[in-house]
Parts: sequence; structure tokens; C-alpha cells
Amino acid sequence: MGTPLFEFYCPVKIISGDLALANVPHEMEQLGTKRALIVTDKGVAGAGLIKYVEMAFEGSGCEIGAIFDETPPDSSNRIVNKVAELFKEKKCDCFVAVGGGSCMDTTKGANIVVSEGTDDLMKFQGADRISRQLKPFMAVPTTAGTGSEVTLVAVIYNEDKNCKMAFTSDRLLPNAAFLDPRMTMSLPPKITAATGMDALTHAVEAYFCLQKNPVSDAFAISAIKLIMANIEKATEKGDDVTARLNMANGALLAGIAFSNSMVGVVHSLAHATGGVCHVPHGVANSIFLPYGMEQNLEKCSATIAELSPLLCKTPPSGGSVEKAKCCIQSIRDLADRLNKLCGLPTRLRDTGVKETDLPEIAKLTINDGSLVYNPEELTFDEALEILKKAF
Amino acid sequence: MITRRHRKHRCYISRFSGTGSPEGERTMKLSISEIFNLDYGIKKSIASTALLALSVTYEMVSKKSRELKDEISSWEDGRTFALGVLKDGPSITLMKKGDRIKYLGKGIQGDPAITIYFKNIDSALMVFIGLIGAHTASVQRRVIVHGDLSKTMEVMRTMNIVQMYLMPGIVLKKTFKRPPELSGKQLALKAQIYAGLVPGLILSGSK
Repeated sequence: MGTPLFEFYCPVKIISGDLALANVPHEMEQLGTKRALIVTDKGVAGAGLIKYVEMAFEGSGCEIGAIFDETPPDSSNRIVNKVAELFKEKKCDCFVAVGGGSCMDTTKGANIVVSEGTDDLMKFQGADRISRQLKPFMAVPTTAGTGSEVTLVAVIYNEDKNCKMAFTSDRLLPNAAFLDPRMTMSLPPKITAATGMDALTHAVEAYFCLQKNPVSDAFAISAIKLIMANIEKATEKGDDVTARLNMANGALLAGIAFSNSMVGVVHSLAHATGGVCHVPHGVANSIFLPYGMEQNLEKCSATIAELSPLLCKTPPSGGSVEKAKCCIQSIRDLADRLNKLCGLPTRLRDTGVKETDLPEIAKLTINDGSLVYNPEELTFDEALEILKKAF
Repeated sequence: MITRRHRKHRCYISRFSGTGSPEGERTMKLSISEIFNLDYGIKKSIASTALLALSVTYEMVSKKSRELKDEISSWEDGRTFALGVLKDGPSITLMKKGDRIKYLGKGIQGDPAITIYFKNIDSALMVFIGLIGAHTASVQRRVIVHGDLSKTMEVMRTMNIVQMYLMPGIVLKKTFKRPPELSGKQLALKAQIYAGLVPGLILSGSK
């Protein structure tokens, strides 16, 4: 009983690079589909990014059945049902999500509704509850952060029950992901930095949390290399195509890593802070990452120290604790540099969180599912202590 | 295959005196790792008994433990949760009633808010005989959860409290992220739980 069991699964076809989007119709044909429902949001549509998708369909034999551009920042069951209705009404046969995490999650939810023939997502909450083959689904991320294009998770807010529903299933993974640098070029510096730090958090937590395994480690390490080398370039000079694509690839690799090895206390704190105070996920992760690493230092210093060649400019020659502390300091330094570059917050108080919100955030933190995968235990008092430090 | 690590952790769960051996009395020893080679029926019986013991302990601990009462104080009355083994393995259902947890019986009763399933009987046994903790079973994807994840975390915390009283200290040290240090009062309650376990199993066995 000495070898821990692990699973790894990522069947997503990755098409990454210049003009990657032009391959969408070809991949649709490979999947036996002809008519796509595009799911996006006002921001993406307003930035003119949908035109790249439309251009790809010209002369292809495939067509766009409809474009849904009303996805809100936090997806809900009402929106999901609306998308599913549109899919059926326009007789579409596949989904193409163009956007960030919310668009991906909305599409995943709508796909469950359409494929399972239901309008009640509640009964699919939890793990492995989707029993039917879902409709073909292609993902076009417009941020380099969430990694939703390669994750098997969807989180959707239930407006009727006032709660968040989480779904995990291998079936939720898209069939293909298209990383086209054109799609992230117009991201403002602050969002570039926040989503990039989100991706870095995915990779770092995937590397030291309990479900880590040799396969996910490989993805996490590659992700950290790419992100550390490109996050400041992409933030400072948004039209640097190479930096943008490297960040997109880094976020995807981090997504594969954490979809298979999960994340820990940093995400629990970020989910809770988002839930109570609507702090953007990437911003919260950026603030909490060094504190989360510190919280696990005693149990994981050797593992975190392995990242020192990737995170530290000059890794110390001492023991694992010194190296791990250097990693934590390097992440703090990076956040400070990003703060100077684009105003990315480094303290909770700068995100609109009030000190009186902290107990409520701590309460939600200890009920967050990611905490299972955190190496160290976390009590309410300890969560509150971290929040106070981060404030 | 028995590895070095297996040998290191080998402990004997039962001993049978053999008879009729020309060499005299022979002792048959069954190591923990060999339990997984037993017939499914035997493994199912062990898992059923372990689940029943968990249920009985839930009821007893929730009567007397302040920390468990505090933990479930925010739960809605009537919240049910179940624990079982896929696909046709044993299962139990429990419910919050007042400030206590009540054992509803074997099987999945009604439509529980939370159901925690072990993917197979071997994974369940690993937890029940103390080879791995509940969180490790989750981490290794040996269990799946149906229902709200946040409520599941609440259920898992209560399960940790119950296991604190049910499992021997040596197992807690091995299976908990942070092994609990029991106060004198808690140790006294643990002794009461152990004393009441067998009668409790007999009384609840018919449910």
C-alpha cells in the first residue's frame, strides 16, 4: 500500500499558434458537426473578437447557427437554460465557447442541459453524474488564466436556491481548444496580470498539493517556466505576440496540471473572497498565493523548494526551507512588480474587502472543496489569521 | 507482491490456531495487505460492519460531543447524508435531527443531500481498516460525491470528529492531516464509545 493512486485524463485536442482559429470549421467536421452555437460575452463581442471566429467559417461548409453574447461574469442556471434553449431553437449541433471562465462554464452547463434533456442542473451536482455523451464542444479562451479550456469542472450559480453548483466529469472536457494570440492581444494590462497570476497559482498549487503526481508535475513545471518568463512582458507590452501565446500555452498547461491534481488553500481563500466580496479570482489568487505556500511550508518545504530554479532568480544554496522561502519571496516580488506595472492589488484592503468581511470569508473558506487537497489542515481561526495578514 | 514497505507496515489483524499439523500448532497469519485478496462476500461483510460501527458512533458522539453539536448547529434540520460503496455494495444513511445525528438504516434512504460513494469495495476497506484517511481517499479519487460540495465539507468535518472517537490513536496519527490530541474529557468519551460500541452494533444491526 505504498504507492498512492492517481488518475490523469486530458483528451482535449490543442490547436495553438498563429491563426489557430481558422481551424475551427475543420475540427467541427472532424467531430461530425456543421452548425455551431457561439457562446461569448459582451466584452469579447465589443472588442471585435467574434469577427475572427466568423471569418474562420467563410467558405468552410460549416455555419454559425447563433451567437449568444449575454454571458455574465458569474454564470447562472437561468443563463445556462437560455443558452440551451437557443441551441435547440437554432438547431445547432455543437458549441463553441469564446471567452473566459464564465463563458466556458456556461457552455459546459448548457451542454449538460441539452444532452441530458433536463432543465434542472441541481441533480447533476458533484462528481461523475453526467451519464450521456455531451454535444461536441470547442473552446477558444480569450484570457490566459483560467485554463477552463482543459478542465473537467464547471461552477454555476443557482439563482433559485442562492448557491453555487459545482460539476466535475470527464465528459465536460472540450473536444478541442484553440489558442490564438489574437484573442488575448486586447486584454488590458491589469487583467493580463491577474489572469496570469491565476495561471501561476494553478501550476504552483498543482505542484505541491496532495493530488500531485508525476504526470501533472510535468505540466505544472512547464507552465511555471512559461508564465515566469512571459507574464511581465505580456502585461507591459500587450502586443507582444510571442509573450501572449506563451502565456496562453502556460495557462493551458497549468489548467491540465490542476484539472488532474487539483488545488488547495489558495483557491479556497480566493473562492470564498470572490463569493463574499466579488473580488476577481485572479486578483485574489495573486494576493493569497504566498500566504498559501507559507501555510504549507512545514509539510511541503522540500516540494516547494524544487521550484526554486524556476521561481528564484538566484536560488539559495541552503536547505529546502531556505529555497522554499525564496520561492515565496520571489512570488511576492513578482506581485509587487506587477502592482507597479499595472496596479494589480497586493493586499485585500485594496480590492474593496472590508475587515468586517473577513470572518464570513473564513467561514466559506473552510467549506470549500479545494481544501481537501491542501497538504495542511486549516481551521476557521487559521483561515481568519491568513486573511488578516493578507488584508 | 509484498514489497518492503508492506513488510514494514505489516500488522496482523487476526490469528487462527491451526490443528492437526504434524509440526504441532501452526499459526495462520493474515496481513492487512492480504485482506484485499479475500472473497468479495467477506470484504462486503467487513465493510458493512465498519459502516454500521460508523453509524453507531455517529449517534453516540452526537449525543455527547460538544464539537460535533457545534459543527452541525448550522445544518438545516433533516439534512440527510449517505455513505456507500459502488455499485451494489453496502451503504448507510444518516440524518441531522435536532442537535444530533440519527442513523436511518442500511442502504440509501430517500434522496440524501450528500452521498459519498467509494468507487469499489477495496477503496472502502482501505479507509475502514485505517490504511488511508478519508481525505486521502478523496485525493486519490477513490470516492466520488453526489451533491453540494460545501455541504460535503461540513459532513467530512463531522466524520473526522466521529473517527477521532472511533479509531485508535495509531490510526489517527497515520490517517489525519493533523492528528488530534485528545483531552482527558475526550479520552473518557472515547472509552464510553468503545464500551457502548458492541451493544450499539447489536441494537442497530437490524435497522
